[in-house]
Parts: sequence; C-alpha cells; structure tokens
Amino acid sequence: MSKVIRRDFLKGMAAVPFLGYFAFAFKGSIGEEAKGKSKDIYETLKINKLDATGQKLLPPTGMGEKPLRIGVVGNGWRGEQLLRSLGFTHPDFVEKNTIDGKYTRKLEEFLNQEDLNVEFAAVCDTFDVRTQRAVEIAANDLRPGGRKTPKPVKIFSSYREMVKSNEVDAIIVATPDHTHALIAIEAAKAGKHVYLEKPMTHTIEEAVELRNTIKSTGVVFQLGHENRQQMSFKIARELYQKGVLGDVSMVQTFTNRNNTFGAWIRDEAFDHKLGNESNINWKEFLAHAPWHEFDLKRYFSWQRYSDYGTSVTGNDFSHSFDCVNQVLELGIPETVVAIGGQHYYKTHGDMPDVMNAIFHYPNRKLTLTYDCSLKNSIYRQAKILGSEATMDVDRAIMIYKDGLSERYRDIKANASDPMYYYEPNTGVDAISSATSQAYLKGGYGPTYIDGQVVDATLLHLKEWVDAIRGKGETSCNVDVGFEEAVTFNLANLAYDSKRPVKWDAENEKAIIL
Amino acid sequence: MKLEHEKIANSYSTKQLVVLTSLRILIGWHFLYEGLVKLCMPEWTAKEYLNGAVGLFAPLFKAMAGSEFAMTLVDTLNVWGLILIGLSLFIGLLSKPAKIFGIVLLAMYYLAYPPFPGLAANMHAEGSYWIVNKNLIEIAALSVLYFFPSNYQTGIDRFLFATKKQK
Repeated sequence: MSKVIRRDFLKGMAAVPFLGYFAFAFKGSIGEEAKGKSKDIYETLKINKLDATGQKLLPPTGMGEKPLRIGVVGNGWRGEQLLRSLGFTHPDFVEKNTIDGKYTRKLEEFLNQEDLNVEFAAVCDTFDVRTQRAVEIAANDLRPGGRKTPKPVKIFSSYREMVKSNEVDAIIVATPDHTHALIAIEAAKAGKHVYLEKPMTHTIEEAVELRNTIKSTGVVFQLGHENRQQMSFKIARELYQKGVLGDVSMVQTFTNRNNTFGAWIRDEAFDHKLGNESNINWKEFLAHAPWHEFDLKRYFSWQRYSDYGTSVTGNDFSHSFDCVNQVLELGIPETVVAIGGQHYYKTHGDMPDVMNAIFHYPNRKLTLTYDCSLKNSIYRQAKILGSEATMDVDRAIMIYKDGLSERYRDIKANASDPMYYYEPNTGVDAISSATSQAYLKGGYGPTYIDGQVVDATLLHLKEWVDAIRGKGETSCNVDVGFEEAVTFNLANLAYDSKRPVKWDAENEKAIIL
Repeated sequence: MKLEHEKIANSYSTKQLVVLTSLRILIGWHFLYEGLVKLCMPEWTAKEYLNGAVGLFAPLFKAMAGSEFAMTLVDTLNVWGLILIGLSLFIGLLSKPAKIFGIVLLAMYYLAYPPFPGLAANMHAEGSYWIVNKNLIEIAALSVLYFFPSNYQTGIDRFLFATKKQK
C-alpha cells in the first residue's frame, strides 16, 4: 500500500526535478539575457543620454490673442498643403476623405491638428482657377477644433498690393523660384513677416539682398525646409556632436526619380489642364524674367526652365543640403564642381536630368557630393561617412560601425548591419538586434515628438507664428537659408559654365575659375 | 461532469503520459523564462512592441501604448501572467486555468503582429511566417494540453483533485 502511495506521490512530482534544474541554472542565463537585451544604447555608442529625444511639444500658440492675418501668394499645390497645415482645407479634400458618412484617418488627423489661431486673410495667384480654389478653401467651415464661421478671403491681383495692405500681418510665399526674393523683399520692406518656400532664391545676388533686407527690417523670416522640425535630424546632429561618427570626411546626397512627374514635367498634372491664356496672368508670372511668348509648358513646368526654376539642385538637393547642414553645420563650400546634361527629358526647358556635383569644405576636411539621376528611382538616404561609423539619415537613422573603428572595437555588430537605429514612427531609438535589421526607409514626412506623430510642416509654420508672437525664434532663418541658396546656386553656376566655381566669402561673390 | 478530462488522463499509456508531460513542461519553461527575463529588466516595457502593432487591432494596441496607466497594468499583468502560467504548467498546479490564460495571452501577441500578407513586417520576429507563426502553434499546443491534460497525473493537481478522483 505504502509503495503505491509513494509511486503515486512521485508521479505527481514528476516535473519538480526539471523545475529544480531550471531554478538552479536560470539565474546565470537570465543575467546574460537581461544584460544583452537591456544593453544601454548610449553605453554602446559611448555617449551620455540624448537630449533631443526628450524634447517636448510647445504649448498652443496665440491663446487669447487676436488671430494672425495671413496672406498667401501662390496657392498652387504647395500653397494648398501649407494652408491645410494652417488649418484650412478645400471641400474637395473633405469629400474625398468622407466614406459612407465617416471621416478617414487623414481627415480626422486634420480635424485634430492644432489650431494655430490664424486667419486666412488674403490670396493672390496668377492662375484664376487657383484663386477660385482659395476662395472655396476659405469658405469651408470644417476646421480643426470644429466648425467655424468662415470669413471670406480677400483677393489681390498682385502681391504688390497685398504686401502693402493693412489687412495682412504676414505673408506666405509659395511661388515659382524666380519670384521668391522679389516678393519676400517687398513684403519685408512693407513690414510683413515672411514664410518663404524653398529654395530661398533664384540667384546668389538675390540671396545677399534678401538676407540684408530681412536683417534691416527685422521681420520674422522662416524658409520652408520643414525638415528642420524632423526629430531624426536633431538626433543625428547630437550624435555627430557627441563624436559617434568620428571624423567626417564625406557626405553624400542623392536625387533618384524615374518618371515625368518626378522630372517636374507637370503640364498635365493636378488641375493644370484647365489653364489657358485667358485665365493665366502671364505677365505677372514672368515678373522680371526675360520676355517670352505665352507658353503653358513654361507656366506649369517652370521648374525645368532656368529662367524661373533652380534646376534639380534647387528643386531637390536644397532639401538634402538643409538636412545635412542641420546635422553638420557645413555652411558654404569653398569650391564647387558640377557636370551632367539634359539627356532624357528634352521636351521641356534646359534642366539637367543626370548630374553630379562636388562641394569642397577644406576647413572641415570633407567633401559633400550630390548625385542626381531622373532615369532611376533607387531610394538612397543621405549618407555621412565618419572614421568610426557611417550614418544613413532621413526620417530614420541607421548607424553602421566602421569595420576598422577603434571606438567600437569591442562591439560585435557586423559592419554591414546597423548597430543603432532610430525608427521615425514610434520614436524608438535602439541598438539593432539581429531581428531588427528592417532597413528603415524614412523618406520625408511627419515627425515624432513628445510621444506623438506630428506634421512637420505644421510645426514649422507654428515655429514661425510663435516667433511672430514673440515666442522663440525660427530655425530655418535667413542665415541658414543664405547657406542653402549660395550652395546650390554655386553648383548651378559650375554646371552652366562647365568650370569650377569658388566662393569669395569676403565679398560674397561667386568666382568662376 | 468536470472530470471528463481526468478520465482521459487516467487512460493514457506511459508513453503518451511522458510526451504530454514533456510538452507541458516545455511550454511552462518557455513562459516562465520569458516572464522572469522581463522581471529582471526593470526598464522593460511592452510599449515599443504595442506601438509597432499592425493589422486590425493595431489601433487598440497603440491606444494601450499611449496611456501610462494602461501600460503599467499591461506590463504588470504580462510579466506576472507569464511567470504564473509558466510555473503552473511546469509543476502541474491549477494548470487548467493557466492554459486558458496562456492561450489568451498568446492570442494577444498573435493579434498584435498577425503574419498576414500586406502588413508591415514584424521587426520582432526572426523567421518567415505566413498566417501561421510560433505564437499560433503554441496556442494550438496549449489547446491540445487543455483537452489532454497531464497535470492530474504528473502534476501537483494529482493531489488537489485526489479526493474527487477517488470517489
């Protein structure tokens, strides 16, 4: 009987020896496991904790104050995007984003975005269809924070009257590049604050004049590189400054596109088919550009004509430049060479579609390169090559240790796998494990701050509006804008002259060598 | 009535019992270790995991990650859930509810990153999965253990339920 009970007892306890072994051995294993998993990223990178990731969103702007009255010059596709970030959208957008009576996430996001307490007071556009659209945008009562009584927008036939009007406090300029400086300078002289779309100016001379005017008038200026608000670049900057990359000897930037829209051929894009000689103010569009007969191609694909646009460098490199300039504070290069040609899209303008430019910064012991092909759409992030590590940066960050790095000698990570990554939609920054090598392609887009995903353009506009209201300063001010404008314009001069171009910093002039 | 499973348990051959007990111990081991590792890392939180959730229930998981209160609750329940379920399976103590809770927990992991085509890849997964992944298989294994229990034979439950069994 007792034997049966004993056997019965042992059977019931069958698993206990295994638990005993588990209890005996797990402590050693778990210690290793926990150490591996919670390994401090900052310890790995040999830096203190990052400040950038702890940044907080600023409180709502202009509470209890009078709304800021904003005039928009150029309500094209970008103008309309800026208006949406300001809290004004077209009924079309509402209709497209209402399915079976329910709002889409995109529309919900619009309705939940911060109300910047601004008034869409005035508009001016050389294309009547776009002016009418602005009227409809202003009449739409569906706005962030609920329905509001719409106030009609005042239409100006020219920016010249708008900047002088006492019904406008500040101006947003989203026009073709050749009119940027013209409008911004007039606005500043009339005491209006300016938000100017990128690139800053069509020429270096204009950049000098605009900077001087902004400084002498003291108006609040913001250049429209909304990536200034992007968390990844703030983190990248801090990582660089803390020595994570070592000595940076080269910075690489890219444009890769492979269709006509990407090549800025846009006569048939958007609502451009509606354009004709009777609804376009051709003379006003030309402004101070050389006279030319009315031409729809020139009007709608102006980016491709050097009379109005700033080439691939102004269209796209200016973005990448401002991003890496934020990280590294590069400033203006000493010498620039550029070569390429218009080989594929010959129907419109004189813009190259294959181009390489090299910018030399001897005092920084580095070169910045720009490679552009409009016949290949591979995606490449900006790359910063350091002696200790290489950084891929866009909205995401990936850092690869250098195979011969001293600093990271004891890190086992394979040099071809990122040892650090920043994930843009969740704000996670971590050491890569073998399982997280999803190669993050961040592109451009919203940023992650203070636990929230936020539209970078809204933050950029808010920064400007806050600065006008006396709180803080703009991050893409006229000095960094000046660096952007001079840098890409030097490349355009080098491309046009097929000669190296040197920057004479003292006299603020380009010298074609 | 409730002794249906126990009746089955009484009819196992030795080999069947060994295999079922092994499976129970293995799953118990897995749960217990996962729980203890998390317990040993004070800074551990499921926040990143929930924030990255994809699929139909992603908004729910992301909402949890957004609330501090919910995260404290989720983290505590997750860690201690794993430990207690693991321990229970391991030694065969009150294993029946443990299996149910285990299935619920695994189902949550599964739904946070359902391996369906078209959804963003789970950065936390280390293999290639389509509809079926290791979470789903572990759910199935726990279901098997639920209907073919071994705890009434090779677990502490043998003593707890002994009186009933002798009736």
